[in-house]
Amino acid sequence: MALSKVGVVATAQTEFRPAWNNAQHIDLISSVVTSVFKGSGLTIDDVDFIIDSGSDVLDGRSISNCGFLGALGAHHKEEARVEEDGLWAALYGVNKIRSGSSSVGLIVAYSKPSESNVDLYWNAQVEPFYQRPVGFGQRAANGIMAQRYLADSGLSSRDLADLVADRWAAAAASGKVSIDDLPDADAILAAKEGAAPLTELMFARPVDGAVAVLIAREDIARRVSRNPAFITGMGTSMDTHSVAAREAGRLSSAATAAAMAYRNAGWASADADIAEISGSSVIGELLAIEALGLAEAGKGLSAARDGKVAINRSGGALPADPIMATGLVRLAEASRQLSQPETSSGGTPRRAIVHGAGGVGMQNNCVFTLEV
Amino acid sequence: MGRHVGIVGVGQTHHARRRTDVSQAGLVREAVDRALADAKLSMEDIDTVVVATGPVLFAAVNQPEKWVVDAIGAQGKSVVRLTSGGGAGFAGALAGYYQVAGGFSERTLVVAYDKLSEGQLQYSISTLYDPFWGREFAVGIMGFSAAYWRARMDVLGHTEEAAAMVAAKNRKNAIANPYAHVKKEVSVDDVLNSKPLCWPIKLLDVPPISDGAAAIVLSSEKMAHHSTSRPAWIRGMAYCCEADNAPERSLMLSEPLAIASRQVYRAAGITNPRRQFDVVEVQEPYSCFELNYYESLGLCPPGQAAELIASGATQLDGDIPVNPSGGCMGANPIGAVGVIRLIEAATQVMGKNESHQIKDAKTALVQSGGGWANLRGCAVLSA
Repeated sequence: MALSKVGVVATAQTEFRPAWNNAQHIDLISSVVTSVFKGSGLTIDDVDFIIDSGSDVLDGRSISNCGFLGALGAHHKEEARVEEDGLWAALYGVNKIRSGSSSVGLIVAYSKPSESNVDLYWNAQVEPFYQRPVGFGQRAANGIMAQRYLADSGLSSRDLADLVADRWAAAAASGKVSIDDLPDADAILAAKEGAAPLTELMFARPVDGAVAVLIAREDIARRVSRNPAFITGMGTSMDTHSVAAREAGRLSSAATAAAMAYRNAGWASADADIAEISGSSVIGELLAIEALGLAEAGKGLSAARDGKVAINRSGGALPADPIMATGLVRLAEASRQLSQPETSSGGTPRRAIVHGAGGVGMQNNCVFTLEV
Repeated sequence: MGRHVGIVGVGQTHHARRRTDVSQAGLVREAVDRALADAKLSMEDIDTVVVATGPVLFAAVNQPEKWVVDAIGAQGKSVVRLTSGGGAGFAGALAGYYQVAGGFSERTLVVAYDKLSEGQLQYSISTLYDPFWGREFAVGIMGFSAAYWRARMDVLGHTEEAAAMVAAKNRKNAIANPYAHVKKEVSVDDVLNSKPLCWPIKLLDVPPISDGAAAIVLSSEKMAHHSTSRPAWIRGMAYCCEADNAPERSLMLSEPLAIASRQVYRAAGITNPRRQFDVVEVQEPYSCFELNYYESLGLCPPGQAAELIASGATQLDGDIPVNPSGGCMGANPIGAVGVIRLIEAATQVMGKNESHQIKDAKTALVQSGGGWANLRGCAVLSA
């Protein structure tokens, strides 16, 4: 059977701040769950299921979804917790609607890393016997990837800093990210070392926030939404655990995920108008751009800044990385840019690529294609 | 409706209080090997993988699917992990079901596990509670469950004797389960006289803490015949919840389980569960919960669970055996229990159960859940 279309009917997200000091998790969650319905023509009663993403480790709480079910609007409904970035929760939701058992689903992802030790979150992910004792984690993985990338591509740290500055400027222009001091390339280069050759500001910045996406069967989406974006392809792939054992200089699992998504959608990356990409660092973003087929190996930088496909008009993950929610934010951003271009970055884009990542060194990758 | 999905291969470890010979990755590999062999497949035949575990604080590895992916042999494939407390395995299987039913996959491997000996279980569970209002006085999940049981004692007649009958039944059934590690017959009096841990919960009302893994292969209708001539088809499956602080939460019937069962029975064409099911497998974190499930699943009216267990109908030789495998009383690797219940039910309708095959079993009911007794699901399987 041909896979039926599932549409993105509405989205809502909080402002992304380094610390939402005056809000708890349930406040962030309930604010997006209540606001996603505004103007949508649907209410919480129309929702068949809720699928959510979050991390027990970041929350410091076992079965953390258990304490948030009321805020999620999940009372007496089907609920599932996907403990991976929110784009995987959306994948689950789309499959559930496509199975025919449900019509409308609410996908929610949230993050409050300001209350956590983010380094511990990453270090607790690596193999506990041989890698964890030496303190391996996200910083070291991205630093190693960056050293390889710069050596192979001939790029300099200045090139990386320029791209990071562009992303922060785009985020500032969007008004969705709280930024105290907008850094320029010099400030990025001068920032504290994250993991050589990357400075702290070259890594995705953890922020607090939440996002909700309302998805529905095609006929419902067309009825309630003026110009819904439809999810036409999905792909996901997980690489081997050891960073050292992965294919050097290439995010092979992102390439596999992209190929799966493009095959389902029936078009390729060159046909896309926009892309929203999650990168764990500026190097992660460049590698993802190349893996998605938007640039040749080592040439991600020119595609990132001046490519035919507009990449990360929202700023992407570098200025704002609500850990566990970033990929769902990318989906929300892309669907808004397609459905409401007049209020969202302009132009008339019709096709989008959305990328979400998880794990140390972007071990897990998920790609969606969207169309209006 | 979407595509039909069947269970075509099953495998589980020999569960133990502590497995010192393998890491978490080794546990997973054992279950996967057995499920693939049972399905006559290799990893090359699998499209997607779902991993499920209890809370990661149990065994102190965050996002463990990213470590065990290599042990599974799933590098390069779609891998995602689900978690839902004690119901994690069931929630993972449900996600796997939708990957096939929704056309994302032809064959999905679901592997669920916990290695509880590597963590401090009750301490980890205590972090379940609200950090401001609940955590200062909560101790694990036993206190909550005891209060839950106490309330139902008065309203629904869930007596200590009735729960003791559950414990005696399940522990006896576990003796013949080759995968269980607690194999000791106890009498009702033994249970009643065992040490109170958090009254009315007594020592023999409580299942063990286990290391273990379980895996199933889910297949589309088109591909199922490559693995078995008798798949266990999933006729209906749902997993519902109740907000932890909902003001109308009564803690008598399990409302999320009742809601899930209505959805599932409608999908599966079940109109009289008491008569139509040949066998039932439920996840009883304490003996008293099995009584609650009888009522919430509609196997008897509210207030009659004690009569049902006393009648002997849920015994092996009764007309609706519940937990022929022994349930959690024989082995309780929390995150894996939901998949184990599915395995024990699937093998019944496939005609190859290794514990106590119920003769001519064609339709099975499975229940699983977690959280503060507020995450509950069920499924109907038939040949």
